[in-house]
Amino acid sequence: MIVTISKQEDKTLVELNGRIDSTNADKFQQEMEPLMQGEKPDIDVDCSGLTYISSQGLRVFLLLQKSVMARKGKLVMRNMNPRVKEVFDITGFSNIITII
Amino acid sequence: MRKKRFNPIKDKTSEIMEFLMASPDMPQDENLRFKIELSIEEAVDNVVRYAYEGGIGWLEVGTSLNEESLILTIELRDAGTPFNPLEKDDPDVTLPAHDREIGGLGIYLCKQMMDSISYRYEDGNNVLTMTKRIDS
Repeated sequence: MIVTISKQEDKTLVELNGRIDSTNADKFQQEMEPLMQGEKPDIDVDCSGLTYISSQGLRVFLLLQKSVMARKGKLVMRNMNPRVKEVFDITGFSNIITII
Repeated sequence: MRKKRFNPIKDKTSEIMEFLMASPDMPQDENLRFKIELSIEEAVDNVVRYAYEGGIGWLEVGTSLNEESLILTIELRDAGTPFNPLEKDDPDVTLPAHDREIGGLGIYLCKQMMDSISYRYEDGNNVLTMTKRIDS
Protein backbone atom coordinates (compact mmCIF):
# COMPACT_ATOMS: atom_id res chain seq x y z
CA MET A 1 0.00 0.00 0.00
CA ILE A 2 1.38 3.37 -1.03
CA VAL A 3 -0.33 6.50 0.25
CA THR A 4 0.57 9.80 -1.41
CA ILE A 5 -0.75 12.98 0.19
CA SER A 6 -0.41 16.35 -1.49
CA LYS A 7 -1.91 19.83 -1.20
CA GLN A 8 -3.59 21.77 -3.99
CA GLU A 9 -4.68 25.16 -2.67
CA ASP A 10 -7.21 24.31 0.08
CA LYS A 11 -7.71 20.76 -1.12
CA THR A 12 -5.88 17.72 0.22
CA LEU A 13 -5.32 15.11 -2.46
CA VAL A 14 -4.77 11.51 -1.48
CA GLU A 15 -3.69 8.81 -3.89
CA LEU A 16 -4.02 5.18 -2.85
CA ASN A 17 -2.11 2.39 -4.54
CA GLY A 18 -2.22 -1.29 -3.62
CA ARG A 19 -4.15 -3.21 -0.98
CA ILE A 20 -5.54 -2.26 2.41
CA ASP A 21 -5.99 -5.40 4.45
CA SER A 22 -5.73 -6.67 8.01
CA THR A 23 -1.94 -6.83 7.80
CA ASN A 24 -1.37 -3.17 6.89
CA ALA A 25 -4.50 -1.36 8.10
CA ASP A 26 -2.79 -0.06 11.26
CA LYS A 27 0.04 1.38 9.18
CA PHE A 28 -2.51 2.86 6.77
CA GLN A 29 -4.31 4.50 9.69
CA GLN A 30 -1.04 6.09 10.83
CA GLU A 31 -0.40 7.41 7.32
CA MET A 32 -3.88 8.93 7.22
CA GLU A 33 -3.37 10.55 10.64
CA PRO A 34 -2.41 14.00 9.17
CA LEU A 35 -5.88 14.11 7.56
CA MET A 36 -7.57 13.80 10.94
CA GLN A 37 -6.38 17.29 11.93
CA GLY A 38 -7.15 20.84 10.87
CA GLU A 39 -10.25 22.94 10.35
CA LYS A 40 -12.76 22.37 7.55
CA PRO A 41 -10.81 19.70 5.65
CA ASP A 42 -11.46 19.22 1.94
CA ILE A 43 -10.17 15.76 1.11
CA ASP A 44 -10.21 14.11 -2.28
CA VAL A 45 -9.16 10.45 -2.40
CA ASP A 46 -8.19 8.93 -5.75
CA CYS A 47 -8.84 5.18 -5.49
CA SER A 48 -7.91 4.19 -9.04
CA GLY A 49 -4.89 2.25 -7.75
CA LEU A 50 -6.73 0.66 -4.82
CA THR A 51 -7.06 -3.03 -5.67
CA TYR A 52 -8.42 -4.56 -2.46
CA ILE A 53 -9.94 -3.52 0.86
CA SER A 54 -11.07 -5.57 3.85
CA SER A 55 -13.06 -4.57 6.93
CA GLN A 56 -9.95 -3.36 8.73
CA GLY A 57 -9.42 -0.88 5.91
CA LEU A 58 -13.06 0.24 5.97
CA ARG A 59 -12.62 0.96 9.67
CA VAL A 60 -10.03 3.64 8.83
CA PHE A 61 -12.39 5.32 6.33
CA LEU A 62 -15.17 5.37 8.92
CA LEU A 63 -12.80 7.04 11.39
CA LEU A 64 -11.80 9.54 8.72
CA GLN A 65 -15.38 10.32 7.72
CA LYS A 66 -16.42 10.82 11.36
CA SER A 67 -13.42 13.08 11.90
CA VAL A 68 -14.17 15.10 8.73
CA MET A 69 -17.84 15.52 9.68
CA ALA A 70 -16.93 16.65 13.19
CA ARG A 71 -14.78 19.39 11.60
CA LYS A 72 -17.49 20.33 9.09
CA GLY A 73 -15.28 19.29 6.19
CA LYS A 74 -15.67 17.33 3.00
CA LEU A 75 -14.46 13.87 1.97
CA VAL A 76 -14.83 12.55 -1.56
CA MET A 77 -13.58 9.22 -2.91
CA ARG A 78 -13.29 8.72 -6.65
CA ASN A 79 -12.30 6.23 -9.38
CA MET A 80 -13.02 3.15 -7.27
CA ASN A 81 -12.73 -0.14 -9.12
CA PRO A 82 -16.01 -2.12 -9.21
CA ARG A 83 -14.83 -4.85 -6.85
CA VAL A 84 -13.73 -2.37 -4.21
CA LYS A 85 -16.91 -0.35 -4.76
CA GLU A 86 -18.99 -3.46 -4.06
CA VAL A 87 -17.36 -3.74 -0.62
CA PHE A 88 -18.39 -0.13 0.10
CA ASP A 89 -21.91 -0.85 -1.23
CA ILE A 90 -22.51 -4.06 0.74
CA THR A 91 -21.41 -2.49 4.01
CA GLY A 92 -23.45 0.67 3.45
CA PHE A 93 -20.29 2.77 3.33
CA SER A 94 -21.39 4.16 -0.04
CA ASN A 95 -24.18 5.92 1.86
CA ILE A 96 -21.95 7.50 4.47
CA ILE A 97 -19.07 8.54 2.23
CA THR A 98 -19.43 10.43 -1.04
CA ILE A 99 -18.15 8.22 -3.84
CA ILE A 100 -18.05 9.61 -7.36
CA MET B 1 -9.35 -31.65 1.45
CA ARG B 2 -5.99 -29.89 0.97
CA LYS B 3 -5.04 -28.87 4.48
CA LYS B 4 -2.29 -27.14 6.35
CA ARG B 5 -1.88 -26.40 10.02
CA PHE B 6 -0.20 -23.13 10.98
CA ASN B 7 1.37 -22.85 14.41
CA PRO B 8 1.92 -20.27 15.76
CA ILE B 9 -0.48 -17.97 13.90
CA LYS B 10 0.40 -14.58 15.35
CA ASP B 11 1.24 -12.21 12.44
CA LYS B 12 0.81 -15.11 10.00
CA THR B 13 -2.35 -13.89 8.26
CA SER B 14 -0.50 -13.17 4.97
CA GLU B 15 1.18 -16.57 4.94
CA ILE B 16 -2.11 -18.38 5.63
CA MET B 17 -3.85 -16.35 2.91
CA GLU B 18 -1.10 -17.13 0.41
CA PHE B 19 -1.43 -20.86 1.09
CA LEU B 20 -5.20 -20.80 0.58
CA MET B 21 -5.25 -18.56 -2.48
CA ALA B 22 -2.56 -20.71 -4.15
CA SER B 23 -4.73 -23.83 -3.81
CA PRO B 24 -5.59 -25.49 -7.15
CA ASP B 25 -9.19 -25.57 -5.89
CA MET B 26 -9.44 -21.79 -6.25
CA PRO B 27 -11.09 -20.31 -9.35
CA GLN B 28 -9.17 -18.19 -11.86
CA ASP B 29 -11.91 -15.59 -12.29
CA GLU B 30 -10.71 -12.34 -10.70
CA ASN B 31 -14.11 -11.28 -9.38
CA LEU B 32 -14.69 -14.60 -7.67
CA ARG B 33 -11.17 -14.67 -6.30
CA PHE B 34 -11.67 -11.19 -4.82
CA LYS B 35 -14.82 -12.29 -2.95
CA ILE B 36 -13.26 -15.52 -1.74
CA GLU B 37 -10.03 -13.83 -0.68
CA LEU B 38 -11.90 -11.16 1.24
CA SER B 39 -14.07 -13.74 3.03
CA ILE B 40 -11.09 -15.89 3.94
CA GLU B 41 -9.15 -12.89 5.19
CA GLU B 42 -11.97 -11.77 7.46
CA ALA B 43 -12.38 -15.28 8.89
CA VAL B 44 -8.65 -15.93 9.31
CA ASP B 45 -8.08 -12.48 10.83
CA ASN B 46 -10.81 -13.19 13.42
CA VAL B 47 -9.04 -16.35 14.56
CA VAL B 48 -5.58 -14.75 14.53
CA ARG B 49 -6.79 -11.79 16.60
CA TYR B 50 -9.25 -13.31 19.01
CA ALA B 51 -9.17 -17.13 19.23
CA TYR B 52 -6.15 -17.49 21.50
CA GLU B 53 -4.94 -15.48 24.44
CA GLY B 54 -1.71 -13.82 23.32
CA GLY B 55 -2.16 -15.27 19.85
CA ILE B 56 -0.45 -18.53 20.83
CA GLY B 57 -2.16 -21.45 19.14
CA TRP B 58 -2.81 -23.16 15.83
CA LEU B 59 -5.14 -22.74 12.89
CA GLU B 60 -5.75 -25.47 10.35
CA VAL B 61 -7.10 -24.34 7.00
CA GLY B 62 -8.22 -26.39 4.05
CA THR B 63 -9.92 -26.22 0.68
CA SER B 64 -11.81 -28.72 -1.42
CA LEU B 65 -13.64 -28.51 -4.70
CA ASN B 66 -16.51 -30.72 -5.75
CA GLU B 67 -15.76 -31.19 -9.45
CA GLU B 68 -19.37 -31.99 -10.27
CA SER B 69 -21.24 -29.25 -8.46
CA LEU B 70 -18.26 -26.83 -8.67
CA ILE B 71 -18.79 -25.96 -5.05
CA LEU B 72 -15.65 -24.76 -3.33
CA THR B 73 -15.45 -25.46 0.40
CA ILE B 74 -13.09 -23.66 2.76
CA GLU B 75 -12.68 -24.87 6.30
CA LEU B 76 -10.99 -23.20 9.27
CA ARG B 77 -10.35 -25.15 12.45
CA ASP B 78 -8.82 -23.86 15.68
CA ALA B 79 -8.65 -24.94 19.31
CA GLY B 80 -9.18 -21.48 20.76
CA THR B 81 -11.95 -20.12 22.96
CA PRO B 82 -15.29 -21.54 21.76
CA PHE B 83 -16.82 -18.78 19.67
CA ASN B 84 -19.61 -18.85 17.11
CA PRO B 85 -19.14 -15.73 14.95
CA LEU B 86 -22.53 -16.29 13.32
CA GLU B 87 -24.41 -15.71 16.58
CA LYS B 88 -23.60 -12.02 16.49
CA ASP B 89 -26.32 -9.81 15.01
CA ASP B 90 -25.54 -8.32 11.62
CA PRO B 91 -24.49 -4.66 11.78
CA ASP B 92 -27.11 -2.15 10.65
CA VAL B 93 -25.56 -1.04 7.36
CA THR B 94 -28.17 1.69 6.87
CA LEU B 95 -27.05 3.81 9.83
CA PRO B 96 -25.39 7.20 9.24
CA ALA B 97 -21.65 7.57 9.96
CA HIS B 98 -21.96 8.97 13.48
CA ASP B 99 -24.10 6.01 14.58
CA ARG B 100 -21.88 3.39 12.99
CA GLU B 101 -19.61 1.38 15.22
CA ILE B 102 -16.05 0.55 14.36
CA GLY B 103 -15.86 -3.12 13.52
CA GLY B 104 -18.35 -5.96 13.24
CA LEU B 105 -18.23 -5.89 9.44
CA GLY B 106 -15.89 -8.80 8.81
CA ILE B 107 -18.25 -11.73 9.27
CA TYR B 108 -21.04 -9.72 7.64
CA LEU B 109 -18.87 -9.41 4.51
CA CYS B 110 -18.23 -13.19 4.56
CA LYS B 111 -21.97 -13.83 4.70
CA GLN B 112 -22.58 -11.53 1.76
CA MET B 113 -19.68 -12.71 -0.40
CA MET B 114 -20.00 -16.46 0.11
CA ASP B 115 -22.98 -18.74 -0.66
CA SER B 116 -23.00 -20.32 2.79
CA ILE B 117 -21.17 -20.06 6.07
CA SER B 118 -21.63 -22.39 9.01
CA TYR B 119 -20.09 -22.99 12.41
CA ARG B 120 -19.80 -26.03 14.62
CA TYR B 121 -17.92 -26.87 17.79
CA GLU B 122 -16.38 -30.30 17.37
CA ASP B 123 -13.87 -32.26 19.49
CA GLY B 124 -12.85 -29.08 21.30
CA ASN B 125 -12.37 -27.16 18.05
CA ASN B 126 -14.10 -24.22 16.42
CA VAL B 127 -14.88 -25.22 12.84
CA LEU B 128 -15.99 -22.58 10.35
CA THR B 129 -17.03 -23.76 6.90
CA MET B 130 -17.69 -21.50 3.93
CA THR B 131 -18.83 -22.52 0.47
CA LYS B 132 -19.01 -20.79 -2.90
CA ARG B 133 -20.15 -22.09 -6.25
CA ILE B 134 -17.40 -21.14 -8.67
CA ASP B 135 -18.89 -21.47 -12.12
CA SER B 136 -19.07 -17.89 -13.22
